Amino acid sequence: MDNHLQLHLALSTTSTRNLPRNDEKKRKFDESFSDDEMTSNKRTLPLLIWNDNRNMDCGCVDVEEHAVVGWPPVNSRMRKVAEHHRRESTASNYVTVDNGGGGGGGLNSMYVKVEMEGIGIARKINLGIFGSYQALTAALMAMFGKRREMYKLTYRDKEGDWLLAGDVPWERFVRSVRRLKLLKKVW
Amino acid sequence: MAYSFPEEVLEHVFSFLSLARDRNAVSLVCKSWYEIERWCRHRIFVGNCYAVSPEIVIRRFPELRAVEMKGKPHFADFNLVPEGWGAYAYPWIAAMAEAYPFLEEIKLKRMVVTDESLELISKSYKNFKVLVLTSCEGFTTDGLASIAANCRHLRELDLRESEVEDLSGHWLSHFPDSCTSLVSLNMSCLGSEVSFSSLERLVARSPNLRTLRLNRAVPLEKLANLVRHAPQLVELGTGAYSSEIRSDTFSSLADAFSACKQLKALSGFWDVVPSYLPAVYSVCSGITSLNLSYAAIPSSDLVKLISQCQNLQRLWVLDYIEDSGLEALAASCKDLQELRVFPSDPFGAEPNVSLTEQGLVSVSEGCPKLESVLYFCRQMSNAALIAIARNRPNFIRFRLCIIEPQAADYLTLEPLDAGFGAIVENCKELRRLSMSGLLTDRVFKYIGTHAKKLEMLSIAFAGESDLGLHHVLSGCDSLRKLEIRDCPFGDKAVLANAAKLDTMRSLWMSSCSVSFGACKLLAQKMPRLNVEVIDERGPPDSRPESCVVERVYVYRTVASRQRLDMPDFVWTLDEDSSMRYS
Repeated sequence: MDNHLQLHLALSTTSTRNLPRNDEKKRKFDESFSDDEMTSNKRTLPLLIWNDNRNMDCGCVDVEEHAVVGWPPVNSRMRKVAEHHRRESTASNYVTVDNGGGGGGGLNSMYVKVEMEGIGIARKINLGIFGSYQALTAALMAMFGKRREMYKLTYRDKEGDWLLAGDVPWERFVRSVRRLKLLKKVW
Repeated sequence: MAYSFPEEVLEHVFSFLSLARDRNAVSLVCKSWYEIERWCRHRIFVGNCYAVSPEIVIRRFPELRAVEMKGKPHFADFNLVPEGWGAYAYPWIAAMAEAYPFLEEIKLKRMVVTDESLELISKSYKNFKVLVLTSCEGFTTDGLASIAANCRHLRELDLRESEVEDLSGHWLSHFPDSCTSLVSLNMSCLGSEVSFSSLERLVARSPNLRTLRLNRAVPLEKLANLVRHAPQLVELGTGAYSSEIRSDTFSSLADAFSACKQLKALSGFWDVVPSYLPAVYSVCSGITSLNLSYAAIPSSDLVKLISQCQNLQRLWVLDYIEDSGLEALAASCKDLQELRVFPSDPFGAEPNVSLTEQGLVSVSEGCPKLESVLYFCRQMSNAALIAIARNRPNFIRFRLCIIEPQAADYLTLEPLDAGFGAIVENCKELRRLSMSGLLTDRVFKYIGTHAKKLEMLSIAFAGESDLGLHHVLSGCDSLRKLEIRDCPFGDKAVLANAAKLDTMRSLWMSSCSVSFGACKLLAQKMPRLNVEVIDERGPPDSRPESCVVERVYVYRTVASRQRLDMPDFVWTLDEDSSMRYS
């Protein structure tokens, strides 16, 4: 499979089986962050407004806010169960699922340090409020006032290795990232 | 060449026929068989309470002992049917109270049941034994108190999934000390705490108790005591399964469970503390049904539990099980017949767990008897569906919900037509199908061509034109129930297939493209169909006829098409061909 298709920068989740393993970390600069990949959104847009709720930092998503009535088709009992679990995980970071993370609530405050090559002062950003690499990169560029195509995003993971961001599914990235650094692309 | 058996002989022969289908066939043979059969039919099932009236039922079947009935359409579970639409049990209960003093069983689903109805039941039938209220609403714990107090021979009280106004837990204490006949008690949907000592005494004096489903308010510390009084239990629903971790609580619980040699089904498990799960390990090898759909249990603990249940036939679980847990399930539970995986965070935009199409593929590969699936996930591919279809041609029920509406095949970005097509083509015995994801008219062509045994189909956010609906209505020979929401299906397909609707129980269409004019035309063309326009925007004839209706519910009926309990947002065709509400 063509490498292009494997870089999921859009709001999609990917089966972990179909992605390159970590040993293929080094990527050519033109394979990352190029415009056509950003726009090759893996999803068709839904007919109706799907409430893509990013308010994770308040952790108080009201089930009633959702734009589509009766979807997904879970009955009221299940809805109450989901609401209860959401409150639980927000309150106590309860879910200790190994690779499942803490749900919406657990991603509440995930501040990491971000440096940009050539800029002396580092910043901090809350990863919990983003849902995708695309969103993160856009915010970083806005923060530093730079153009996206000039930089590539790298990160240091929990093992201390520096990797190019974008290879692993977003959720896995968020759990393992410890620091971010934007490096100038070498032409 | 007239010969006939005496009536008593025929009646005796008919008594061996339990299926309604067989009895219906028998009653069509000739008038005398019709007469004999109707006098000895004791049990009926009414799939739509508005398809017939109490008077008609009572007139035909004077000796009923058991009545089972369904009210609101299935989509009512998802708030698509406005409150007050109907399905009131009272007229039936009142009519039957007079006609059937020996009635023993009432089972209702999706109906509105009042305390008044419950009180009437408790006082009218001297030999009342079984009350099952599934997804019902409209009553309070006061109504339950009447049942408990007055039904001397009560065997089953099952309130599964009903919405009960919980005034107090005191109702349970109304069971008299002389009541020792309980076989099944399901109070899992109730909120308040019942008097524990009343509950304990009730359980202790019910030697035939086989099913006990507690509510969340029964604490774990008390569970062992209850179970000890009923080691003959076959089905147990725990209350809250959490407690401070104490070894005496644990060992007491483990001991109590180990005495339950007949236990086959477990449910409940609210607020689970995983450390207490091993207390049930001693019964796991006998367990055939496990309902963990309220339990937030991490995948690793789930796997430990499930791998002990080698005889598991039915598993209902939250998506915390993840792909890895489903793989373990596939490896340990070779007898699995039914799997339901519910979403723990259905409204979250991002997945909170690692559950994908792969989990379903694993189970379809590893479990040769799997025939019924309900699966919520966030991504799907045609490749996976095709693999699933090839692995499991024995599916009877296949319900897949990809959480984002119109999600395409995440690998190829194509619609999921080929995938669902493979399901209907390979699974020749498929009776129920629910679809989701990006789907064009093509999938409906596959369904119309292959799904000849399909009885119930649920469609949402799918299709491109009337052709899609036409394929289904013209091709699915066994179709009984069709429910559609948010699809571009309209007048042409419905009107062209009007006669088909007479062979089905019902058709539900909401947020589609059916016009008011077409509804009127359909009702005029088909006198035995009730065409209900359910629209909260005011009278449909205050708008142009070409205006699309919010919802239309079409069902065949031999009762009046102007039901007396219609609310002001429901319109049906009147005698003078105008739509009005009563």
